[in-house]
Amino acid sequence: MKSEFAFIALPISALVAPSTFAVQYLTVDQAQRAIFPGKSLSAAPVKLAPAQRKAIEQVSGVRVLHDDQQVWRVSGGGWFIVDEVVGKHEFITYAVGLNANGSVKQIEVMDYRETYGGEIRNENWRTQFVGKTSQSPLKLDRDIKNISGATLSCRHITDGVKRLLAFYEVALKRS
Amino acid sequence: MRTNRQIEIRRCRPLLGTFVEVTTSGSKAASLEHGINAAFAAIEKVHRLMSFHDPDSDVSRMNREAFPKSVIVHPWTWEVLETAQHLAQESNGVFDIATARLVASRGYLPKREYQPDNAATWRDIFLRKNCRVFFRRQLVIDLGGIAKGFAVDRAVAALKACGVEAGIVNAGGDLRVFGPISRIIHVRHPATRAFAAGAVRLAERAMATSGVYFTRRRHHGEYVSPLVDGCTRRFARELISVSVAAAECVVADALTKVVFALREQAARLLKQYRADALILERDAAPSWNFNSSCDTPDRTQFD
Repeated sequence: MKSEFAFIALPISALVAPSTFAVQYLTVDQAQRAIFPGKSLSAAPVKLAPAQRKAIEQVSGVRVLHDDQQVWRVSGGGWFIVDEVVGKHEFITYAVGLNANGSVKQIEVMDYRETYGGEIRNENWRTQFVGKTSQSPLKLDRDIKNISGATLSCRHITDGVKRLLAFYEVALKRS
Repeated sequence: MRTNRQIEIRRCRPLLGTFVEVTTSGSKAASLEHGINAAFAAIEKVHRLMSFHDPDSDVSRMNREAFPKSVIVHPWTWEVLETAQHLAQESNGVFDIATARLVASRGYLPKREYQPDNAATWRDIFLRKNCRVFFRRQLVIDLGGIAKGFAVDRAVAALKACGVEAGIVNAGGDLRVFGPISRIIHVRHPATRAFAAGAVRLAERAMATSGVYFTRRRHHGEYVSPLVDGCTRRFARELISVSVAAAECVVADALTKVVFALREQAARLLKQYRADALILERDAAPSWNFNSSCDTPDRTQFD
């Protein structure tokens, strides 16, 4: 059956593999200035004791993977924390600014990486490219900047922030 | 050295349940930063107003109280509802914000304590004067994707209001490009998210993609997805994705759902909105339907 309107079918089934898709948005220094502009910050790293770790996991319901937490104290009150979360394919470094009362001031993603391994080798995909300039080679790292499609959940960060708020209660609040 | 060198600042925050990325180009870093903060503030506002999960959002208040009383909503919520109702009318109910009830029953959204009327549709939603909303039947609406598209539109408006010349706002795949710089957009392949299925170049234009990639799951032995055809009340089951480019992101997002359900039959509607569509299927060639012309400022083209 012929449809009332012809969609143009392209002859090439085109697949380009961004086997790693990585963006650095902010360095630690830049993230500090983005969340706490004009403030001075001093490093105050925390090493969690086993009991603290347990308490954080109990309060947040999220597993603590590292005992060492990168923390900065903000002049005039507040905290700046750098943390990492790992998803199935994503590795995300992000910064959380806490107000003096422990509430979240701002969250900034610092590094975002998506990595894919086996599934690319296993499938016999043709790495051709849809478009008028399909002959020109695509430079993956440089050219793939904007992707439409497939909403990626930020649940890992949501869980990470939950864990950091428990971390604040356990390790920072009274210090 | 020239003083008006273009710089680019790019930021990303977790919002709307996904990653929202704002990219700006201009000559002054301070004004770009200012614009980025205003853009994120606009997105946070849309998030607060239209979240299905937040009990204080306009959406939750409507779902609780718009039947049998009526509810006054924020003008932004009103604007999204108006767009949704217009698209529901134009698509003869294929696009229907009252299908959230079905999605909730499949476990994608939290179930509510109230009992929605099974026969309720978008026709039971009434938009009255002064941002007042009334439901004729007990129903559950979810603005989901179009609220995300609308958030992108508001963010772009905020950037422009701050004097940012060019940029792109990308909320987990719903994106909009503005300013004199065109951008290459890669579309993820539906079968495996590690791949891009192709690329287009957008100028002054939005693009949204709906697919069943990651959210498809089995329900009583059947594959279901969060996309529902408002007319047949059936879930989209085939592994395909639909991308639509249009002037506004709120329209682009809504049209993806219509094309998903109607495929080729959506051509009239696409033309009406001057929208372009890309359909991707497993083991088939990608197909395009172009309606934007090359001589207008907002256009989609192969790159």
